[in-house]
Amino acid sequence: MDKDFKPNIVGFLCNWCSYAGADLAGSNKLEIKPFLSVVKVMCSSRVNSNLVLTSFLWGADGVLIAGCHPGDCHYEKGNYYARRRFALLKKIMESLNLEPQRLQLSWVSASEGKRYAEVVNKFAEDITKIGPSPFRKNQNL
Amino acid sequence: MSKKIGVYICECGTNISDRIDIDSLIEEISSLEDVGVAKKYGLLCSPAGKKYLAEDIKKEELTHLVIGACSPREHEQTFMKVCLEAGLNPYLFQMVNIREQCAWMISDKEAATRLAIKYIRAGIKRVALHKSLEKIELESNPDVLVIGGGIAGIEASLSLAGPERKIYLVEKTDALGGMTNKFAQLLPHQGANLSIVKDKIEQVNNNEHIEVFTSTAVEDIHGFLGNFEISVTNQEKDSEKKEFKAGAVVVAIGFGLYDPKETPAFGYGDVENVINALEFETMISSGKIVLKNGKPPASVALIHCVGRKEKGYCSKTCCLYSIKFARYLKDKLPNVDVSEFYQDLCLPDKSDQNYFEEAKKKGIHFIQSDEIEIKDINDRIKVKYKSAEGKKEELSVDMAILAPAMVPSQDTPKMAEMLNLPLDETGFFKEAHEMLNPVATPIEGVFVVGCALGPKNIPDSIVQSQAAAGKILSTLIPGKKLEPEVKTAEIREEFCTGCQTCLSVCFYGVISFDEHKGISIVNEAICRGCGSCVGSCPSGAIKIKHFTYPQLYREVLEALR
Repeated sequence: MDKDFKPNIVGFLCNWCSYAGADLAGSNKLEIKPFLSVVKVMCSSRVNSNLVLTSFLWGADGVLIAGCHPGDCHYEKGNYYARRRFALLKKIMESLNLEPQRLQLSWVSASEGKRYAEVVNKFAEDITKIGPSPFRKNQNL
Repeated sequence: MSKKIGVYICECGTNISDRIDIDSLIEEISSLEDVGVAKKYGLLCSPAGKKYLAEDIKKEELTHLVIGACSPREHEQTFMKVCLEAGLNPYLFQMVNIREQCAWMISDKEAATRLAIKYIRAGIKRVALHKSLEKIELESNPDVLVIGGGIAGIEASLSLAGPERKIYLVEKTDALGGMTNKFAQLLPHQGANLSIVKDKIEQVNNNEHIEVFTSTAVEDIHGFLGNFEISVTNQEKDSEKKEFKAGAVVVAIGFGLYDPKETPAFGYGDVENVINALEFETMISSGKIVLKNGKPPASVALIHCVGRKEKGYCSKTCCLYSIKFARYLKDKLPNVDVSEFYQDLCLPDKSDQNYFEEAKKKGIHFIQSDEIEIKDINDRIKVKYKSAEGKKEELSVDMAILAPAMVPSQDTPKMAEMLNLPLDETGFFKEAHEMLNPVATPIEGVFVVGCALGPKNIPDSIVQSQAAAGKILSTLIPGKKLEPEVKTAEIREEFCTGCQTCLSVCFYGVISFDEHKGISIVNEAICRGCGSCVGSCPSGAIKIKHFTYPQLYREVLEALR
């Protein structure tokens, strides 16, 4: 394992629950590994397959999608759509020879700052163990 | 027109400046394409800060604005107002969260600064792709359609009617009052003698702002919050049709009763002197409690939970009215022997326990039981049951009164289809959220109250009607226009293949299918901007304003830099 490996993770957070949960983690000064960049979406259901696959093809070592807990979606059912798409994306990743663990879907509510910190830190740790994405070499920004 | 992006980094007192090296951040980003100004400021949300920002936007003739500060949940609205004041479209602004999600969660200043630079770069690249968006204003009709003239519909109408708000109260039968018309009495704490219901009906009839349509069916409802178009037909006057407009709809179509014949073990229809609760109410009204042979009963069994197992829920009201019946019987026929066969006692309200204890003192027997079977044995009713101890027992009585489960009104499926409302597994209407939004539905401006949502007593129905009225009163303010969501979905016709996947995922019934063009159409007036349709569109034909694919893609690219 490369000791200096600093993973690049994209985190799609829904506006109503997970983004607010991330804010709360910050307000509580919970320490979070600086490897995840947040991209806000209104609902986890907005994260289409294209966005996730683009992230990987451009060299993301991990992608986190975080939304409201089942039953709590601000738009009633969006997180269920996200969950179905997540299952599909895992299959696509296998066919791309990309470890499916590089994609994670988590439920984080607006009151779960601590959970947000745990989810992100654990995911960063997992991705660090898996190592750099094979697509990193495609990066040509 | 060439772009001139202004980037302002807020020190937030020392909240941000202590943990992020703002000077090196500004140095990093000031040479990026289209960045005309990159500055820091002590506290941008302060009155002085807002003034400074507005003046700078004008002085520098900025075309786009990026602010690196706290979470947009804190001050995005604040700075959008500043943009408006300064003549900049507020959607040409991007707020970048470098406090909560950066400075405050990363204690290593160098690492925090690196992430802040990424975020600000992403904000700059993103804002360059922003388009001006304009708030639109929609005329809105303050009037309300109330469907169902039972106690819930009556209460909703009375709570809403006023000089600037007309109520159309549509009832399918020929009288207001709903199921209460079949009751002889209410519970003591509900006013017992039904006078409150009669008073309310009189108030409705005397209210010049309520137009009552009896014997009338709702044929069609079209439209959205503030702009529903309704047509109704009178079932008596040669199907006379009427049309009117309303801004909101309250569905108060009540409930039906489980038919005990569906479970032959209850003996209803087979065994003489087995009657249902409504038939007993009629007996109370007539003042004559008698058997088929004209004699008063010497013993009566009250059977709770008729249909509870079959339907899968408790109907909440039956325990109390069965106790009401038992107490009435004891008062009317002092020597009568009364037994209540229950599965579990439901005594949820504060006066209920006492009402039950008093009944026990009157000598009414309460028998916890299961597997009830009612048979006719030598012209007497035999109630066979399994006791709480698991023993098979039986009791002979002269009369049995069944308390059938409350079930959805037979009009529920039709109404659900007309209004595009979901039902739950019990067949009643489903709340937008059982706890957080109990009388709203996925369709904005449409509310469901009372027993149409599930079994409940009269006080709870009234609470729901007043709740829905409150929601409507605060939304449909007479003379005030509605401002729909700006960040809505938009179909790019040339890409739409007409697969209609978006129709199936949209929870709010916003998307319809244009048969002629063969494509989906978004009603932007009611779109909430979640983007579920965008996420599901296989041909990429839908975009959501302000969260377009290029905008998010830019953010992703900068994240991976």
